[in-house]
Amino acid sequence: MRMIELEKKLGDFHLQIRDLYLAPGRIHGLIGPNGCGKTTLCRLLAGTLIADAGSIDYEGLKPRDITMTAQKPYMLHDSVYKNLVYPLRLRGIRPDETRVEQWLARCGLADKRKQSARSLSSGEQQKLSFARALIFDPQLVIVDETLSNLDPDSTRLFEGWMLERQATRSITWILISHQLPHLFRVCDEIHFLEKGRHLASGTAEQMLLHPANDAVRRFVAEQSVQSW
Amino acid sequence: MADRLFSGFFSDFFSMVGVTDSIRVTLVMSFWSVLISSVLGVLLGLLLQRAQFAGKRIVVRLNRTLMAAPPVVIGLFSYMLLRNKGPLGMLEWVFTIQGMVFAQVLIITPLICGLIHSYAERIAPAVYAFAKTMGATERQTRWLLLREMKNEVYFAVVTGYGRSISEVGAVFLIGGNIKNSTRTMTTTISALKSAGDFEAGIFLGVLLMIMAFIIQCLADHFRKEDTPDEDD
Repeated sequence: MRMIELEKKLGDFHLQIRDLYLAPGRIHGLIGPNGCGKTTLCRLLAGTLIADAGSIDYEGLKPRDITMTAQKPYMLHDSVYKNLVYPLRLRGIRPDETRVEQWLARCGLADKRKQSARSLSSGEQQKLSFARALIFDPQLVIVDETLSNLDPDSTRLFEGWMLERQATRSITWILISHQLPHLFRVCDEIHFLEKGRHLASGTAEQMLLHPANDAVRRFVAEQSVQSW
Repeated sequence: MADRLFSGFFSDFFSMVGVTDSIRVTLVMSFWSVLISSVLGVLLGLLLQRAQFAGKRIVVRLNRTLMAAPPVVIGLFSYMLLRNKGPLGMLEWVFTIQGMVFAQVLIITPLICGLIHSYAERIAPAVYAFAKTMGATERQTRWLLLREMKNEVYFAVVTGYGRSISEVGAVFLIGGNIKNSTRTMTTTISALKSAGDFEAGIFLGVLLMIMAFIIQCLADHFRKEDTPDEDD
């Protein structure tokens, strides 16, 4: 997927992406200081924001193949089960109950299937939104800090699901996270944004262990200090 | 003994000319006026949220003004429209329940429209973004928004119903307070007071209060269910 001369103004903030290519079937990490435009860029990709200028070449992906999970996911005024199967219902697909049960069990929500999704803890809501985003087999999944409220064990569990999915049928992932170790474990490529501009891209190792760019080096160092 | 006294008063009260009819008129009038206003108010509220046009803020402000408009003014306006020489005179709705429903629709529709519009404004961005990321079509998105506002729609309808049964000014002007025909519970109370029959007036008032209390209980029930939304 290629973004060319992409621009979006939101108040004082101005996102300007000259040329950024995200290879399909890979796990991409987006990093950068708060307010650098990571979420704005993802919302443009997901179609929930319209760009002021520029273009995105989705390389054949249709809007229905793309999904995004937010840091504070939207939960329908309905049960956990109905939230989980909602994207299937939209597509007229009858839920495969065995698969649904598996997802619920994986999220630790098997005994809460009839409970209101809005009464779940924020961590549980994040797990549910992650499962809901994957249940309909999308081609592009954008994960905007969705795993930020999870404990290390749960984060590892989700990383396992992602890698398992990639091993069986690779899709494109875009992860926004400040947890650099998490990104290092799963990402094929990392892209760094600052003040609305794309400054650098590289493999996880290049970007997080041996950053060539000064801004990236500073950012990685600060994040490492903060994680202590 | 007390039971017999009470049941005696009760049967005397309901056998009074016009009392039973006033309850019937109130229920029929409020049912139709709330039904029509709900359909119009919900549709207009959602349309107002969705539509982008020059002067939208003025329209919203006008609607808010109408939400607080004195019913007697709306009654007068309705009368001007419906009287024989008025533009809707051919309907012959003056001094009929239809005329009272017409006036009440003008009072209640802005109320329901305003409540629905302000709630839709609050939750629509989140619902639209969610629907988009789930792959919903335009039609599915609109349906989802309405479904997500279910409790708020109930609350708006119940509020409209409360307004309908307690309203006196407009129905007095349009209905003419005709015994056994267009006399409602509120206008009956007014007539009983003029006749100096305070006991019956208070009893009818208590009945009206009980109805209003039930309506409020329903409204509170829906509002409580809606509480988790507050942080959306």
